[in-house]
Amino acid sequence: MQKVIIIRYSELFLKGKNKGYFERAFFTNIERALKGYAHTLRRPVGRYIVADFKEEETEKIMRALKKVFGAHTLAVGYETSSKADDIFEAAKRVCAASGTFKVEAHRGDKKYPLTSIEIAREIGGRLLSANPDLTVDVHTPECVVRVDIRENGEALVCGEEAEGAGGMPVGTGGKGLLLLSGGIDSPVAGHMMAKRGMKVDCLHFHSYPYTNEQAKEKVKDLAKILSAYTQGTKLSVVSVTHIQEAIHEKCAPELMITLLRRFMYRIAERRAKTIGAQCLITGESLGQVASQTIEGITSSNAVVTLPVLRPLIGFDKNEIIDRSVKMGAYETSILPFEDCCTVFLPDFPAIRPKLSFIEEEEKKLDVEGLVTEALSSTEIFSF
Amino acid sequence: MIYLDNAATTKPDLQALERAGEFLNDNYFNPSALYKEGFALQCALKQSREKLVSYIGDAFSYDLTFTSCGTEADNTAVFGYARRGNAVTSAGEHAAVLSAFSELKNRGVAEPRYAPLKKSGGVDEDKLLAMIDDKTSFVSVMHVNNETGAVNDIAAIAKRVKAKNPRVVFHSDGVQAYGKIPFRLTDDIDLYSVSAHKIGGIKGTGALIRKKSLAFRPYIFGGGQESGRRSGTENVFGIKAFEYAAERKFSFLQADAARVAALRERLFSLLDKRIFIRLSPPDASPYILSVSAQGCRGEILLHMADDRGLLIGTGSACSSNAKARYSRVILACGYNESVADGVLRLSFSPLTTEAEAEESALILNDCARELLCRTK
Repeated sequence: MQKVIIIRYSELFLKGKNKGYFERAFFTNIERALKGYAHTLRRPVGRYIVADFKEEETEKIMRALKKVFGAHTLAVGYETSSKADDIFEAAKRVCAASGTFKVEAHRGDKKYPLTSIEIAREIGGRLLSANPDLTVDVHTPECVVRVDIRENGEALVCGEEAEGAGGMPVGTGGKGLLLLSGGIDSPVAGHMMAKRGMKVDCLHFHSYPYTNEQAKEKVKDLAKILSAYTQGTKLSVVSVTHIQEAIHEKCAPELMITLLRRFMYRIAERRAKTIGAQCLITGESLGQVASQTIEGITSSNAVVTLPVLRPLIGFDKNEIIDRSVKMGAYETSILPFEDCCTVFLPDFPAIRPKLSFIEEEEKKLDVEGLVTEALSSTEIFSF
Repeated sequence: MIYLDNAATTKPDLQALERAGEFLNDNYFNPSALYKEGFALQCALKQSREKLVSYIGDAFSYDLTFTSCGTEADNTAVFGYARRGNAVTSAGEHAAVLSAFSELKNRGVAEPRYAPLKKSGGVDEDKLLAMIDDKTSFVSVMHVNNETGAVNDIAAIAKRVKAKNPRVVFHSDGVQAYGKIPFRLTDDIDLYSVSAHKIGGIKGTGALIRKKSLAFRPYIFGGGQESGRRSGTENVFGIKAFEYAAERKFSFLQADAARVAALRERLFSLLDKRIFIRLSPPDASPYILSVSAQGCRGEILLHMADDRGLLIGTGSACSSNAKARYSRVILACGYNESVADGVLRLSFSPLTTEAEAEESALILNDCARELLCRTK
């Protein structure tokens, strides 16, 4: 009998002929998450089995696996022979000592001498005899013992199943470049796209000396938190100091944010093409701030051809915060280091800027020169 | 590099560290150990205690309890002595006292009262006195303000406080004063916090000086070190370094203060007065010069000066949180947000040279002019 972690996958079973591609990506991602832990990983039909790990690292391994997209459930259990005595020994270990329980059996090996119901009855009966404090409740049991008879003469026995991260394996959904600001929203946006299988790299804009080193460090911390879900990430950091100064000097003050965002999108698109990303990802939520109106979004979209994915567009702030807390980014996101200095912020930013006015104002700037200069300041960090 | 952020921390006194080195390398024992090597360390700590007190008070009337820092000394005073009723402090205190006062309210211990500041940065004594009544258990007034350098005459304030309510315990945060300005503890001052790393010692060492007639109320409990007043194995190396650094500081205190005051004036005289206004009062501690660069944000200037090799401090932080963006102390002095936004704190040490002071003024002028030009 061997202690194992059983991973069941989520949507992959919907896949047809290319199922193998998704399964292989999921396998690779699990391996990556378990880097540094002694283990073996196997892929029998319909599930993944982590074995040969150190008992004391079980919790840490479970925590790492909960961040791997594609997993439906995770359970610590036992792999044993399919003999009833061995199954019972394993069942004793995963079943609670008291309270209500039931046994659920699944028979992959149809030649097994007992039916699923007979297996459940047999193991349940033995558990009841061995432990007088247990009672059976098939409707709302406090503990469920799951027995899975495999075709190779082995069985998997587990108790409680933990929820997996869901979604699709990262790497199966293309590659996107996330505009990572340092606030609450953008890490959540990156997390959501990674959940749908997208490989996510990050881009951060800073404006030193108007912002500080702590703000940049905070963004690195956020990228690191995100990287646990995205199978690693590369963070590019670009200075927009001179762009802000040029807009401030030459353009209508109420357009500062609108124009700056257009520059950011241009830089992001160039950067995306350099690293092979097929789209931009932002944490915008409609109406959250002045630049996140449909007019603001239209003016930003007008300067790029790549699709811009905005997974949070219909989310309330509280919903975003809930997700940020769940992914473990919230405490870092609320550290008080601003990514954008308020020195250049107008008192009344344009909420519904007209594209013709924006384009007129932008003609006062050497757009190409400023974008090229900003890109030349790119620093890259890998996580 | 020019270092003018000595109010944040000073460069450690290397001679003091060298002398204290034996307590790191050879005499590394636990001072509470019962063998003679341990006892020898107890004697060494006793010597430090007495010497550190002797520089500002007499060892018959005062004793000293070592803590991990000035903040812990302040917290020990506030939480040890503030009782039911109210506790009074000034709006310009260091966060170690102000946050502890807020916590008094959160815990339902006492009603905190905050006396306003005068434009000079010192506490408004009359208003402070008016807040004290027969239910006041504790008063804390800092000696030298850490942002403006304003000096409160704590001996006089303590006297007036005690005259109004003799049962009050009077505490002063002396972290920016000890070893920097001439001072003697008076009978009306019950508790006084000090810190090692502001005068050439190392971080992680502070102390609370206490009038012996006042019963000590411990804040940290455990193995009973420091006669049960502050449990936790003593940082012998840090304490000895503190003693030796203080010995040198107090030997040259008057001469250093005069020389540093001249440097401060030299620096200020070279600043562009169309941009910089002085916030520190004329009678402030010579070690601190607070200025505001009008039309500039202090933190941006700080970064620009940093890039030019000048390290300074600021009361402001580049944050969208308005409360945190402006220096609380400068606003409490009655200055508007625009002045508070441009605050820079230049703080000196006896190691600062005249050439450094002059170079600093030029760098600040250049940076401020450039910033004004870039953001006009």
